[in-house]
Amino acid sequence: MFRRIVPAVLAFGLVASMPVSAAEPVTKVSEQVNEKMVKIFGSGGFKGVVNYTTGILISPDGFILTVASQTLDTSELIIHMYDGRKMKAVVVVTEPVLDIALLKIKVDGKKIDEPSGLDLPYFNYAESLKRPIAEAGDWVLGFSNQFEIATRNEPMSVQQGTISSYAKLHGRRGIFDFPYTGNVYVVDAITNNPGAGGGALTDRKGQLLGIIGREIKNTLSETWINYAIPLNAKVETKDGDKPKIVSFPEFVSLGMQFKYKPVDRPVVVLTAGGFHGMRFVPNILERTPPYVDELYPNSPASKLVQVNDLVSFIDGEPIYSIKSFNDYMRKTRPGMTIRLEVRRGDNLQTIELKLEEWPKGLLPTVPLPKNPDPPK
Amino acid sequence: MITTPRFPRRPAVWFALAAGTMALVLAATAPSPMLAQVPAAVKGAEDERVAVIAKVKPAVAAVCFYGGKVCGSGVVISEDGLCLTNFHVVQPTGAILACGLADGKLYDSVLIGQDKVGDVALVKLLPKKPGDKFPFVKLGDSDLCRAGEWSLAMGNPFGLAMDFNPTVTFGMISGVNRYQPPEGKGTLEYTDCIQIDTSINPGNSGGPLFNMKGELIGINGRGSFDKRGRVNSGVGYAISINQIKNFMGHLKVGIDTDHATLGASFSTDAEEGDLSKIFVSSMLDESDAFRRGLKPQDQLVAFAGRSTTSTNQYKNILGIYPKDWRVSLRYRRGTASKEVLVRLMGNMDKVIEKEPQPGDPKPGQPQPGGPPSNPGAEKAKLSPAAKMVEVKKGYANYYFNVLAQDELLAEIKKNYGDFSKLTGNWALDGNVQLADRGGNVKLTWIDDKTGTMEVKMSREGIEDSVKPLEPGIGVGELSLPQGSGGLLVSLWQFRLLMTQLRDGMNPNTSFSPGFVHGGSEPFYPPPADGKLPANITDLRVDCDVLKTKKGQFEAKWYFDQKNHALLGCEATFVKEEDPCELYFYDWKDAGGVKLPHKIVCKFGDKTFATITARTYGLVRK
Repeated sequence: MFRRIVPAVLAFGLVASMPVSAAEPVTKVSEQVNEKMVKIFGSGGFKGVVNYTTGILISPDGFILTVASQTLDTSELIIHMYDGRKMKAVVVVTEPVLDIALLKIKVDGKKIDEPSGLDLPYFNYAESLKRPIAEAGDWVLGFSNQFEIATRNEPMSVQQGTISSYAKLHGRRGIFDFPYTGNVYVVDAITNNPGAGGGALTDRKGQLLGIIGREIKNTLSETWINYAIPLNAKVETKDGDKPKIVSFPEFVSLGMQFKYKPVDRPVVVLTAGGFHGMRFVPNILERTPPYVDELYPNSPASKLVQVNDLVSFIDGEPIYSIKSFNDYMRKTRPGMTIRLEVRRGDNLQTIELKLEEWPKGLLPTVPLPKNPDPPK
Repeated sequence: MITTPRFPRRPAVWFALAAGTMALVLAATAPSPMLAQVPAAVKGAEDERVAVIAKVKPAVAAVCFYGGKVCGSGVVISEDGLCLTNFHVVQPTGAILACGLADGKLYDSVLIGQDKVGDVALVKLLPKKPGDKFPFVKLGDSDLCRAGEWSLAMGNPFGLAMDFNPTVTFGMISGVNRYQPPEGKGTLEYTDCIQIDTSINPGNSGGPLFNMKGELIGINGRGSFDKRGRVNSGVGYAISINQIKNFMGHLKVGIDTDHATLGASFSTDAEEGDLSKIFVSSMLDESDAFRRGLKPQDQLVAFAGRSTTSTNQYKNILGIYPKDWRVSLRYRRGTASKEVLVRLMGNMDKVIEKEPQPGDPKPGQPQPGGPPSNPGAEKAKLSPAAKMVEVKKGYANYYFNVLAQDELLAEIKKNYGDFSKLTGNWALDGNVQLADRGGNVKLTWIDDKTGTMEVKMSREGIEDSVKPLEPGIGVGELSLPQGSGGLLVSLWQFRLLMTQLRDGMNPNTSFSPGFVHGGSEPFYPPPADGKLPANITDLRVDCDVLKTKKGQFEAKWYFDQKNHALLGCEATFVKEEDPCELYFYDWKDAGGVKLPHKIVCKFGDKTFATITARTYGLVRK
């Protein structure tokens, strides 16, 4: 117990000593880091799914790392540089298992795999990788364009905190288990806000430690967690049926040569409970009401439920949203019978559904941006 | 789930210890043997921080309903108990409230002024004994704040402290010059604000943000919230103290202040690659910017001395100024660039006021879920503060405006003498210099038997005469002499101001009731020698403003805040037209009182005349 206090005290000792030593004031570090970061604007824009995120430059000619979010799911990515310049970017490759994407700035008249002619400030990924892993108690800075506070030449938000732990991640995004299961830096600052994904976690000198991840919840405590994917991230997974280790450094080095091939990702298995056969309207709000949008043929619900029914109760418990529906369903298993009350027009209908095994291929997978066509 | 290989047990405890505020408390108070190992520089910085907190703590207020139910936070900024907070904190309390300080005492308090758009309110704490002085903090310069600097937020989050001892949180300035759009319909717009990761929560609203010297750099009031609920999300915002300074003159005199618009809208060019520029996309004909020559397609280069490359930046700059202020604007048309002074228009006209609805998101509300009722409303009527409330449209509390009028009028009498008996005819003999000619001039103010004053100007055989209150008088006559924008009418109002002040009984000759303290504004008198400096804003003098209104005649009188010298006025009788500007110099004795012996008259972008007085003749009545 006592040992654990020490790093915290020392960390704040560092903080406190900053104005005294003033060797590298955070103000200066922030300015330097900011020059190596970009604001990314893509698809999304309706409530719950933002159309902006953050990225970091890792080469002078415009390679960018960010998270593999829905924002990238467009052919028209726009980035804003630290100096206010506005440019186009394309996705080179994404690795869902790392939840990371590699982009490149597109300069008119140049092919994407040609040198762009740009000479931008950047983080040297390979050099950063040589530094030791940061430890719990280390003092860190987070940089991102969370909440789209900045556009054009307005600087990123800077936050400070300490590394709480370096540990394996088991997160959840919506109803889906999060694809990345490697080690992360967990931080005590609230870094992982909307649009912060792809931001930089650095040490107090502005040296890159990791990429701030997307907003996810801890699967155990159901609380939001703040974390970054470390530069040395490695994940054991399967490529098709073969075991494979996916490594972040390899992703970056092969990706920048246009040679990286994402793994043939296994379907992410959900603790989705028993199969009912209803599909709801797109879950874009924190509280999207569970209106039935589609019914799978020959499923338990197909004969009893109708499209546009609103699920209001399961087994007498009120259901307010798709999320609360899914949360309830997770407690179920194939073979159980549930009693639904659905609103159909002005009436409440009571329906009993006997849940089944999920048919092969129907288990929901994590929605991720499609990989783009190979660059020409 | 997070597994922690190094500390497999009790990860929650570890989290709590690593959290910033907890660590701060530990570092500050734990009598740990580990401290022996802390380097001296670290310990020194820590001691400094503890000392700063101790120094400012007594001035941090818990803003409460009358009776003591906590509603938000505040900070005392003067020894006579002026206290800044958020508008959204005093909105539920009403004009009579209470503020608790760290001494554990609850002070009866009264609302003075408010800024709904900027979300600021000024409150006055009443001392327990007359003459008692309050602990207060010094205002800093928020323009010097930089992202990456440290800050302290203080206040009463969640209404935690029953003894009003404030909570302190320590964190980083995450960004400066941030723009956060309005939350209500046009209100609670945070412009040019300070973004912090320093933890602020419901109840921190209205509380101070300090730099590490203990100077007040902002008022905490808002955060970015999303899925995690309306508690600290690592992104809080403080209203910059420099914005509040611009409004302070208005707040102190009880005004319900308004922000400004330029009367022009802008668009950012959509070109890729280039650095951003903004251009005028449309303009209102009645705006001063239009009259000063700004046109659609002009590029806005700088506004109030700051360069403008994005609409966010433009909104940031615009948002920190009260309406009617004159600020500089630089625009580019083709290759030519020009700097002009523009008067800002009011903003509130376009704001549809909306009462807060239950469930409206409102940061800092002590108990989210509905508008809090005022539990102290009945008892508040017995407070000594109840005698300090006067309701009037356009004012948060007109009582303090009357006090400010009294003070300013006393200063005028002190500076220039007692004009109250000098209500007979006045005359000025001297010289006039116009753009193309000059010569002798005689000005006369004739007090006619009917009470209708006539002002005449004779110069080299030309005579102009105006009876401003004559029924049916036309705009052409009121504007005499031609090209002056109404010099004679302005001089008539000048005599009214000096002789009648506020309390004249004759409704024809006195300004009452159109007489109010208008807060503060910058004024740009041309230098006495006529030589303009390279930078137009170097002329700026911060002034207190008296506003007078009589019939269609409105004037603003500018008094230097330093010595209350009357520097000039702007007088209008047709709305949305340029005012006639008078500038007064060389105040000298004129038979027992002082009068300006040089008066410059400007209209639009031109100087119309410079009048130099040899003698004044003032007749008593």
